[in-house]
Amino acid sequence: MEKLLGILSNVRPDIDFSKTNQLIDNGVLDSFDIVMLVGELNEEFDIKIGVENLVPDNFNSADAIMDLISRLQNE
Amino acid sequence: MSITSSIFLIFLFFVFLIYFLIPKKFQWIFLLIASYIFYLFSGFGKILFLLFTTSITFFTGILLEKTDAELETILNNNVKPLSKEQRKKFKDSSKRKKRIILICALLLVLGILGVPKYYNFFAQNFNSLANVFSLDVDLSLLKYLLPLGISFYTFQSVGYIIDINRGKIKADRNFAKFALFLSFFPQIVQGPISRYDQLAHQLYEPHSFNYERVKFGLQLMLWGFFKKLVIADRLSIAVNSIFGNSFQYEGLSIFIGVLFFSFQMYCDFSGGIDIARGIAESMGISLVENFRRPFFSKSIDEYWRRWHISLGDWMRDYVFYPLALSKTFARLGKFSRKHLGNKIGKIIPIIIANLITFMAVGVWHGPYWKYVAFGTYYGLLISIGLLFKPFFQKIVRALKINTDCFSWRLTQISFVFTATTIGRYFVRADGLRHALQLLRQTFSIFNPWIFYDGTLLNLGLRVEDYYLLLISILFLILLEILKETGINIREKISHQNLVFRWSVYLIGIFAVLIFGIYGQEYDAVEFIYRGF
Repeated sequence: MEKLLGILSNVRPDIDFSKTNQLIDNGVLDSFDIVMLVGELNEEFDIKIGVENLVPDNFNSADAIMDLISRLQNE
Repeated sequence: MSITSSIFLIFLFFVFLIYFLIPKKFQWIFLLIASYIFYLFSGFGKILFLLFTTSITFFTGILLEKTDAELETILNNNVKPLSKEQRKKFKDSSKRKKRIILICALLLVLGILGVPKYYNFFAQNFNSLANVFSLDVDLSLLKYLLPLGISFYTFQSVGYIIDINRGKIKADRNFAKFALFLSFFPQIVQGPISRYDQLAHQLYEPHSFNYERVKFGLQLMLWGFFKKLVIADRLSIAVNSIFGNSFQYEGLSIFIGVLFFSFQMYCDFSGGIDIARGIAESMGISLVENFRRPFFSKSIDEYWRRWHISLGDWMRDYVFYPLALSKTFARLGKFSRKHLGNKIGKIIPIIIANLITFMAVGVWHGPYWKYVAFGTYYGLLISIGLLFKPFFQKIVRALKINTDCFSWRLTQISFVFTATTIGRYFVRADGLRHALQLLRQTFSIFNPWIFYDGTLLNLGLRVEDYYLLLISILFLILLEILKETGINIREKISHQNLVFRWSVYLIGIFAVLIFGIYGQEYDAVEFIYRGF
């Protein structure tokens, strides 16, 4: 989780990801942030996030992203 | 039929009446019939295109699901369990099969849109190129009028197929129901481009008459009619005068023309969308927003999240993300990070994907070089914004600019407004050359005297028209500001007392009836004077 929060702060240093939810639904992260984020996550966690994974439920909070990472790592 | 015509209003009246009187289980069937009747008004032959796309899309969806089901059966075969390699082999061949089905379907569906829409563009350019090489080739051009809404329903069907392929939705097994999803009449003219999981179930579900909902729907329609008939159609008179004789005008006159066109475009398009959403809302169906007060945008990319939202979202989900997250772009990212450093390197694939996406947005608007320029213009602006973002932030910090205040927001809004106004030259001009010519003419002279030397009164509008426009646009801006701060106008009105509410409704209705532009023979001033 620490690693994830580090990556998130790198992409958007202006947001406190431990406190913010509805990252997608409230438009906090835009499509460029998502693409940057996915690139870093794929590298750091050795997973492959596909377009079909880009749904609000998977990216609305740091916890949701962590869940997605765990799921993809176990595949 | 035009959605601002009286025949459409009569059609709508009967649609509402019958929709709420018939047994609920027939409602969706009636909507299908009504939508096809509406479509037939645009020409009998054109309906074949809609049926073609509907059929291809419908059967592709089922075919994709059948392929998945076949794979499941094979993998879950307990009679003779498969080895890991065998499982992988079947999975890969299934994936390949689905890919072929997908590509064939996309070629057909996008082809039936692309060929009528873009053939002439390619033929003309091919002819010009052939001329350059003195080749005696002359491809004849098609004489063609595009089927109604083809750009919209095609994208809606492509989204559907791709969503099934991604496992996001299940294929519709009822051809008639699916036909309704693509032909639903309020959105067929100019969108919004809907997603299956958002819209389809609403169309098929029963809806009872709900007074509040119908009231809100009708109010939204009234607001749409007001924007279209009172503001947009009135502005178009002046805009057409300027652009129709643009060589006569220079400097601020052209700029005023483009400025007027900005308001005209916004009021016309968002007005049409409001009418569409109002109709749907009355029937209990919620269509997605297509505009969210775009002129309050603080950046160009925010503008494209507030203007023609359904197109931007579509492009993001079906062009931008697939490109930016593809293996090719991942490799591109590694390459650019190696040669340009980490910071810039990781932005390069995003910028290129973004540029391609915006060129697609541009070309979607029409088969003209001016739209290619339009898309490239925005793609470049946003790309530059992305590349220089850290740099701009440093400057802002160094100059100790307060970014949390009204004046800064105003600066940002002004910048976006200026940039989008320039973008609009490409939309309204007759072509790329004309657009560039107009830009040159605009900056050739600074002539503020046009505001008082009578130029503005030679554009087909009288002083009264300008007063009316001023009041209407100020009123529009006021409402937009209220909405931007989170106030729901229709709800606020419903909480007021009867006299106030009905004054608002009646003023609105009379404003549209009296001040709407209904064609050259109709004269509002005359109408009032004659009535009284």
